[in-house]
Amino acid sequence: MKLLLKKLQLHLGTFHLELDLEVSGQVIGIFGNSGAGKTSLLEVVAGLRKPTSGLIQIDDQVFMDTGTRLFLAPERRSVGYVPQDLALFPHLSVRKNLDYGRKPESSASCSINPNHVVEVLEIESLLGRSIADLSGGQRQRVAFARALLSSPRLLLMDEPLSSLDHDLKWKIIPYLQRIRDEFKIPMLYVSHAPDEVAALCDQVIVLRNGECLRTSRPTEIFETTTSMVLKPGIF
Amino acid sequence: MKYFMKTLTKSAILLLLMALPNLKADEVEVFAAASLTDALKEVATTYEKSSGDKIIFNFAASSTLELQIKAGAPADIFFSADEPKMNDLEKAGLVIKETRRDLLSNSLVIIVPNDSAVTLTSAAQLADPKIKTIALGQTQSVPAGIYAKEYLQKIGIWSQVEARVIPMENVRAALAAVETGNADAGIVYKTDALHSHKAKTAYEVPLAEGPAIAYPIALISGSHHAVVAKKFLDYLSEIDSLKTFEKYGFITKK
Amino acid sequence: MNADDAQVIGLTLGAAGLSTLLIFPFGVALAWLLARKVWLGKSLVETLVALPLVMPPVATGLILLNLLGRRGPVGEFVKNVFGTEIVFTWKAVVAAMAVMSFPFLVRTVRLAFEEINPRLEQAARTLGAGPVRVLWTITLPLALRGMIAGAVWSFARALGEFGATILVAGNIPGRTTTLSVAIYNDIQLGQDEHAYQLLCISAILAFAAIVFSNQFSRWGGQR
Repeated sequence: MKLLLKKLQLHLGTFHLELDLEVSGQVIGIFGNSGAGKTSLLEVVAGLRKPTSGLIQIDDQVFMDTGTRLFLAPERRSVGYVPQDLALFPHLSVRKNLDYGRKPESSASCSINPNHVVEVLEIESLLGRSIADLSGGQRQRVAFARALLSSPRLLLMDEPLSSLDHDLKWKIIPYLQRIRDEFKIPMLYVSHAPDEVAALCDQVIVLRNGECLRTSRPTEIFETTTSMVLKPGIF
Repeated sequence: MKYFMKTLTKSAILLLLMALPNLKADEVEVFAAASLTDALKEVATTYEKSSGDKIIFNFAASSTLELQIKAGAPADIFFSADEPKMNDLEKAGLVIKETRRDLLSNSLVIIVPNDSAVTLTSAAQLADPKIKTIALGQTQSVPAGIYAKEYLQKIGIWSQVEARVIPMENVRAALAAVETGNADAGIVYKTDALHSHKAKTAYEVPLAEGPAIAYPIALISGSHHAVVAKKFLDYLSEIDSLKTFEKYGFITKK
Repeated sequence: MNADDAQVIGLTLGAAGLSTLLIFPFGVALAWLLARKVWLGKSLVETLVALPLVMPPVATGLILLNLLGRRGPVGEFVKNVFGTEIVFTWKAVVAAMAVMSFPFLVRTVRLAFEEINPRLEQAARTLGAGPVRVLWTITLPLALRGMIAGAVWSFARALGEFGATILVAGNIPGRTTTLSVAIYNDIQLGQDEHAYQLLCISAILAFAAIVFSNQFSRWGGQR
C-alpha cells in the first residue's frame, strides 16, 4: 500500500497536525507518545474528521483533496476501522456485529471468505453470544473480524492492544500477524508500544506534536527488535 | 457621651420594633366578589387617603372566597355576590351576624363580542342555534352563574342552551371569554358590561324579570383587625361610597 | 365511582395518549437535532422548548389561549381551513397537554442520544453504513429505552396537566373536564369526599405509568 499525505493540516484547538509524506508498506506503523496526533491521523484517513486542508491518497484512490473540494464519505472509503475502545455494537449479537459491514455475496469487492476469517481468528464458538459476555481478548478478535469482513482496502488499528496485559497481548499479536500474512490486507497500525510496532510493521511513521519526525523501518528506530529501547536521537 | 448615644440608639430601635405590629394593624383584608373589582378599588383608594389605613383585596368568585374563609384564610371582611354564601358562613359562625348588611344589588345582561352581528330583542333568542357558545359563571357555584341559570330556567330555554354553556371560574372570566371572541355570547352583571370596551350589551334583563341579586357584606369573626375593619365597613355604607357604586352601575339600597 | 367519573378518566387518558402520540415523532426528531447537530438558532429553540417547564403553567395557558383562540393566528387558520374550533373543546385539552409535556419528551430523549458512544456510529460508518442506516440500526435502537422513558414521562405529565388546560379548554363537564380539573371542581364545590376518590384514581394512574416505564426499561435492557 502507498500512503500519500500532501500538505495535510488539521487544527484542533491548540493542537496542530501537519504532515507531508509518502510511505509504502504492508503494515505501516504510526508511532509516538500520547498527544502526538496518532488517533487524529487515523480519524482523518477514515473520513471521521475533516482536516483543514490537504490531500490524502491510498494507492490510486484519493480520499480527500481540499484543492478539488473532494471528500469521500467514510462509508465509501472501504476502510476497516478498529478504534481503541473497539466500538462493538452492544445491542447486536457477535454474529450480527460481524455481518454488519459485509457486502452482498455477489459484489466484486467481496474477496474475503468469512469462514476463513472466523477460522483464522478462532471465534467460531462465539458467534451466538452477546458482546457483554465476551472477555477482553475475545472482544479484540471479534473487532478485528468485523473490520475484515467488510472487505476493506485497508485496516486502521488504533492501539488495539493497549488495554491488554502483557500475556494477553502476546496471545493476540499472532492473530494480527495472521491477518497480515493470510489476508494480505494493508494496515495502518497506531501504537506507542515499540514491541508491537517491531513485531508487525515494515515501515514506521514517527510522530511528535503533530509532526512527522521520520519514516523508517523498525530496525532503524529500535535498538533491537525485541527490546523497548529506542535508538538515540529518535526523539 | 458615648454611653448616652448608645442608650438613645437602643431605645430608638426598641420603639420602632414596638411600633411595627401597630403599623400592620392598620391593614384590612377584604374578600370581595369579582364583579366588585373596579368599584371597590376606587372607593378604597379614596378611603386610604383620608384614613391612613391600608385596604388589601382578594377578588374572586364568591364560592371560591367562601371556601378560603372556611379554610381559615385571614379575611377581615366578606363582600359576597349572593346570599347563600353568606348564609353558609353565618351558619358556620364565621361571620359576625350583627355586622351583616345588604348594600347593593345588580342586574343581568346578555353580552356579545363588539364585532358580533347578533342582535337580541328578547332573552329567549339566546336559544338560536347561531349562538354556538355561551359563557356563564359556573352554574353550580359562582353567583353570576347561579343567577343566570335561574333566569334561563325561568324563561324556559335552559334545556335548549345547556349544552352550549361554557362554565367559567368567575364572572370576569366569562366576560373575558366574550371579549376575546372565544364565546359567542355570555351572561354577566350589568356592571361588568359597562366596564368592558370589547363586549357590548345585546339585551338588558329588566329588573322585574331578572333574579333578585343581593350583595351582602359582613365582618369575619375572630379578625385581628376588627376595629379598623368595622371602620371601613361603615365607610362603605356612606353616601359618597354608594354614589361611587352607582357610578359603576350597581343598584344601591337606601 | 360513577359513569361521569368514568367519562372523565376516559377523556383524560385518551387526550393524554393522543397528545403523547402526536408529539413523539417531533420530539424525537428535535432531540436528535439538538443532540447531534449544531445549527443557527439552536439556543433559541432550546430556550423555547424549555419554557413550558419553567414558566407558570397558567402563563403558558395564556399564550396558548391567544394563539388558539378564535381570533388567534392558529385558531383563525384552523377555523378557516377545517371549519372547527380549538378552544373550549377536547382539542384544546390535547393541545395544552402536548405543549406542557413536550419538554419532558425532548429532554429525556436528547439525553438518551447524547449517551450513545459516538464511536459506535463512527464504526458503523466505516463499515459502509450511510447516515440513514446508522440512524436506523445503531442510534435509534440504542436510544430506545430513552425514547420509551420520554414517552412515559410526557404521558404522565399530560395526565396531571391543569393550569394551561383550564385556561384554554375550560371546565366543561362531559367535554373538557379532565381528572385534575374534576378534582379542582370538587374542591370548589366543597365535595371533598369525591375529590379524594378522584385523587386516589389519579395516584393509581401515575403509579401505573411509572411501574410500566420501569418494566419496559428492564425489558429493553435485556434485549
